[in-house]
Amino acid sequence: MASLLAVLIGAMVAAASYLLLSRNVVRFLFGFVLLGNAINLAILTVGRYRGPQPPLVPDGAAVPTAAVANALPQALILTAIVIGFGILAFSVVLIYRAYEELGTINSDEMQVAEPAGVPGGPR
Amino acid sequence: MASKTAPIGRAGPNSRFAIFRCVAGYLLAAALPAALTGLFVSLVPEVAGGGVLRWSVDWVPSLGVRLSFLVDGLGLVFALLISGIGVVVFVYARAYLDGHPQLVRFFVVLTLFMLAMLGTVLADNLIALFVFWELTTLTSYLLIGFTHERADARAAALQALLVTGIGGLAMLAGFILLGAAAGTFELSQLRAGTVDVRADPRYLPLLGLILVGCFTKSAQFPFHFWLPNAMAAPTPVSAYLHSATMVKAGIYLMARLLPTLGGTEAWTVTLTAAGAVTAVLGSVWALGQSDLKQLLAYTTVMGLGTLTLLLGLGGTAGVVAAMVFLLVHCFYKAALFLVVGAIDHATHTRERDALSGLAAAMPVTFVTAALAALSMAGLPPLVGFIAKELIYVGAVEAPVVPAVVVGAALAANALTVTAAGLVALGPFLGVRRAWSQPPHDPPWTMWSGPLLLAALGVGAGLYPALIDQTLVAPAASAVLNTPVEVHLALWHGLGLPLALSGATLALGLAAWSARRPLDRALAAAAAGLPRSAEGVYDAALAGMKGLAAWQTAVLQHGRLRGYLATVFATMIALIGLAFLWGGLSPAVPLPLDVPLYAWGAAALILAGTAVTLKTTSRLTAICALGAVGIGVAILFVSHGAVDVALTQLLCDILFVILLAVALLKLPRFRELPHRGRAAMVATAGLAVAFGTLVSLILLEILATPLDLRLTEFFQSHSQPTAHGRNIVNVILVDFRAFDTLGEIAVVMLAGLAAVALIRVRASARRHQENNR
Amino acid sequence: MKPELLLVAPLVIAFATGIATFLARRRPRLAGALSVGGAALLLAAALALLAQVVAAGPIATQAANWPAPFGITFVADLLSAIMVATTGVMALVIAVYALAEIPRPLESAGFHTFYQILIGGVCGAFLTGDLFNLYVWFEVNLMASFALLVLGGSREQLDGGIKYVAINLVATAMFLVAVAVLYGLTGTLNMADLHQSVGRVGDVGLLTVVACLFLLGFGIKSAVFPLFFWLPASYHTPPVTVSALFAALLTKVGVYALIRVFTLIFTRDVAFTHTVLLVVAGLTMVTGVLGAVAQMQVRRLLAFHIISQIGYMIMGLALMTPLALAGAIYFMLHNILAKANLFLISGVMRRTAGSFDLGEIGGLWKANPALALLFAVAAFSLAGMPPLSGFWGKLLLIKAGLDAESYAIAAVALTVGLLTLYSMVKIWNEGFWKPHPAGDGGVVTLAAALPGGRVWLLMAPIVVLAGLTVAMGLFAGPVVRVMLTAADQLLNSDAYVAAVFGSGR
Repeated sequence: MASLLAVLIGAMVAAASYLLLSRNVVRFLFGFVLLGNAINLAILTVGRYRGPQPPLVPDGAAVPTAAVANALPQALILTAIVIGFGILAFSVVLIYRAYEELGTINSDEMQVAEPAGVPGGPR
Repeated sequence: MASKTAPIGRAGPNSRFAIFRCVAGYLLAAALPAALTGLFVSLVPEVAGGGVLRWSVDWVPSLGVRLSFLVDGLGLVFALLISGIGVVVFVYARAYLDGHPQLVRFFVVLTLFMLAMLGTVLADNLIALFVFWELTTLTSYLLIGFTHERADARAAALQALLVTGIGGLAMLAGFILLGAAAGTFELSQLRAGTVDVRADPRYLPLLGLILVGCFTKSAQFPFHFWLPNAMAAPTPVSAYLHSATMVKAGIYLMARLLPTLGGTEAWTVTLTAAGAVTAVLGSVWALGQSDLKQLLAYTTVMGLGTLTLLLGLGGTAGVVAAMVFLLVHCFYKAALFLVVGAIDHATHTRERDALSGLAAAMPVTFVTAALAALSMAGLPPLVGFIAKELIYVGAVEAPVVPAVVVGAALAANALTVTAAGLVALGPFLGVRRAWSQPPHDPPWTMWSGPLLLAALGVGAGLYPALIDQTLVAPAASAVLNTPVEVHLALWHGLGLPLALSGATLALGLAAWSARRPLDRALAAAAAGLPRSAEGVYDAALAGMKGLAAWQTAVLQHGRLRGYLATVFATMIALIGLAFLWGGLSPAVPLPLDVPLYAWGAAALILAGTAVTLKTTSRLTAICALGAVGIGVAILFVSHGAVDVALTQLLCDILFVILLAVALLKLPRFRELPHRGRAAMVATAGLAVAFGTLVSLILLEILATPLDLRLTEFFQSHSQPTAHGRNIVNVILVDFRAFDTLGEIAVVMLAGLAAVALIRVRASARRHQENNR
Repeated sequence: MKPELLLVAPLVIAFATGIATFLARRRPRLAGALSVGGAALLLAAALALLAQVVAAGPIATQAANWPAPFGITFVADLLSAIMVATTGVMALVIAVYALAEIPRPLESAGFHTFYQILIGGVCGAFLTGDLFNLYVWFEVNLMASFALLVLGGSREQLDGGIKYVAINLVATAMFLVAVAVLYGLTGTLNMADLHQSVGRVGDVGLLTVVACLFLLGFGIKSAVFPLFFWLPASYHTPPVTVSALFAALLTKVGVYALIRVFTLIFTRDVAFTHTVLLVVAGLTMVTGVLGAVAQMQVRRLLAFHIISQIGYMIMGLALMTPLALAGAIYFMLHNILAKANLFLISGVMRRTAGSFDLGEIGGLWKANPALALLFAVAAFSLAGMPPLSGFWGKLLLIKAGLDAESYAIAAVALTVGLLTLYSMVKIWNEGFWKPHPAGDGGVVTLAAALPGGRVWLLMAPIVVLAGLTVAMGLFAGPVVRVMLTAADQLLNSDAYVAAVFGSGR
């Protein structure tokens, strides 16, 4: 299981990187979503596969009675997912506003703060 | 070229207190240097008797830096020159710049300079010395650029700062190495000689670094060029900093370190060669100058070269000669600068060709100039003669190629005779000219100081005991670190030095009588003569700016994709390098134990990813991403992460909705230019390499056993201690509650920021409109 | 107050102030006053913490009383305490400056809230003893900085914001991956626990690979070569207050994290990791300062200088001697004060002379000598002129380099010092000495720049920071001693680890 995920994650990271390196900032955002998914899977994977049993303590017991999944990575992923969602939501608005003001979603054309061809930047 | 200021002696505007203000101004200006002069004079008897005064306080003890001061013969001579000439210059400058709007600032900086200079020559700790040294550089910068609205003054100030700044940095490195080699930064302990630094393997580098500092500060070839350019400063500043005091700081330091670093072949050859070349070139260049101040600046270069040469010789004769010449040079050179300032003020020019016949109109100035020039030319009975005799005594005894050294000294001295004539006779003798405003002597505040300095040259010549036992002997003893007897006299007896003096005078007068053809010859030769390192400085500055512009254009080009590509390339390179360094070679186990639905999820993810990569339709891409999210959620479930899967799905759905709403207002992807094939391949290469590395790392990690201490603790404490059966929830709200707090903060901030982004635009526009 | 409570006090104060300013956002004056008051309180708590750590060594507390390494530990050694105290100082002075600079619409859009949460996140990053929790604080900082950077919504801000956001997202992703694999390798997240666990890792090569992931993630955050692009792309676009705040704190969090993990955790293959750091340090210094030399716009020039000076801090870390680490921390503290002050001054320069562009301004020395003097203090300190603070930082680092016989890095540090001087003097020559292109009328006095005495809200922070710069130089002795103790605690992690695990208390 773990090896499959390691390879899968690599593929997702590669695809995400390709998208991140796009001029189109929306595709950059897609890349970031993909990268977030890949990283969450990576956290899951490094916690090692211990079967499909959720980490719950059964009623009446003080500790889990059977082998359960590693709880810590799950907690970390939950935090990461929520944080990632917040940042994505903001990024969508940022891109939208940047498009409104700059008139483009092509980052090659975003040269307002660092105008090309002006030695030493904007005068 | 002159700093044009209000006319001399202008009274204050209609105030009955003007006279008091004026007097008070002079008193205030000169009070500190005068008091310091008095203090240092009072120390002369004790120091001349072999006494040493010390005062120190810890500064940064962990680095061995103490604010320690020591007054011995050498320090006292310099301190007297700094404070004494300070009195003359401060009084002179008060009159020279009378009415200037930035007069107060000028005196604040000048006073700071004086204190820094005193600190430099009295500090007994190398680092403390360096601190004061750099402060003289900084204040010198401010003073050279005093007439800051002129571009040439700003450029000259920058040049002086950078050239002496290079030296200062080299010197700092040298000091640190010296301190490490000797085990102390205290100069007095260095002189005590418990450790012979000359035997240390770091000796040559540290000597070289320190000498770069000395040579730049004291304008030795090839670093000398900043000094003539520094003449952009007001003339009192030139007289004070750039002839009498600051440029002598390098000389001071070489003298100070002579017992510690001197006596080696490297020391002797470097200083002698640099000094001789500087002295000869300085005197040759001097004759080629049409501006009197420039001319004086180059003779200062000559004087500094001579001093370096003498310190390079290193023996008693050389050091005594250096100390005498140091005093003599300060007396006559400061006087001559101030004379040129007076001429400038009276006639508004410093051009040699435009000046003649001023003797009758400016008698006091003429007398001052003549006395100073006689000393400069080294004629008896002035003290300059004694100095020149001693220089020849030292040169004859030179440990390396004495013939060359004597020849260089002879050439430099002879040309100095000529230069003295050009300054002191040229403007005053000859035809009288018609001036629009008749020139006259300056007020007493401006002539008394220079006259006093020039008179000192006469007094010390006629009555050498004024200086020999009081100043020269203690200073030479301090430099040589051993008691030295010095008896100066005008008459040294017949011998080679006297013959050389005669030859000097004869050659100098010959050059003077041939000055017109010589001028032409020098002017013709000037084109061929190297402008020395100034060309290098200009080229280096231009090159540095060019490099900076090129580098910035290459690195900071403004295109996000390029930035990210560099970041990814760096990540790949470093991780790859670490892989190779660590000799890692992953064994890839076959994924056999995978349940079917996990294969399915993986396939779904890969398919979704592929579609996202390929599609140019925004909605298709969003849906494909949604599919990836679902696949990931399935994998979560397969790992027993049900809560995570639910959250993942929820966020997935919200995100898809948000994107769908926002994206539809953005342009279609097809409207964007397609990236070229080469760029596509390069990007794909980066992407695949990075993904591969991530996979490799994960496989490596998975091949090791996991330490499950934390998980076991959570499992065994969730219910009994934290009273929760869902261990993940317990971790989130109890064990790691601070993570959750931060997580909530991020989401709240994101919402608030998004709202602000949308809202502020509107309100900002309203705001602008209201302001219109 | 119990010493342990001091560890969470900065965080609690900043978050509480953040919430209070949010509730008061419709009344900007009140929100501003709350922000300043909260910052003052935070400073007091931070100073108390510093005093405690100076007196008694590292202290730690366990959130919700779960013993380390199971819960989240908050821990302050001297480095953390110094950084938090510095954050307190900067939070206060910049909050005062903000009162005069930030326009009303930005205030009611939540400026003070973003500001306070950013401060809280920074303090959290300095104080947490848990690597994943550090990641969370990084994200808090990042989100708050996004908001502050683009608040106002000008074209330049949005352009710079896109680049800033994009590259920083990659950085935090990298950091998260790094935390994940380190957990996979060691099974723990507590940094003191990691210090011990990494000793048990069999495969040092793999550990080094993981170390590189951290180096890359934190390297982007710290704006080292060749990962710094986001910084010069964006730092000149927001209000001056925000530029100054970012210049003071953001990259320094990255540097702090680098110092922390590369002294506490990744010290098993110093030959590789710290050589890489040394090379990065040299290149960062050079490329940063050359970038600065090329600029004509004051804030862009200053932004490039941030990069260059990060190089000095990394140099201290790379050399890993007590003197070098002390130099790195001293330099960091000095740099925060001087660099933020230069940004604040650039704002006043623009208000009085009309532009950030050196080609369009001038005459400030003639018209505003007080401002010139304050600029000179900060600028020449940055250039390492004695006896100002920058000199001692440089001296410590260069001495450390020479002592370690790393002559090349010492030479680079010295040369870059000269170029730093050059670019600072460029501002002085062009902005202060050169006549204003529009004549004397082109410059207004300070009082006229911002009527109603509010100019003092701009000037007081500048005066305070300049005073601290001077004091740090004149009283370098005790400051350096504290820095050496801090360095000693970094190189000798026993006290830190003991504090976290509660032994000896």
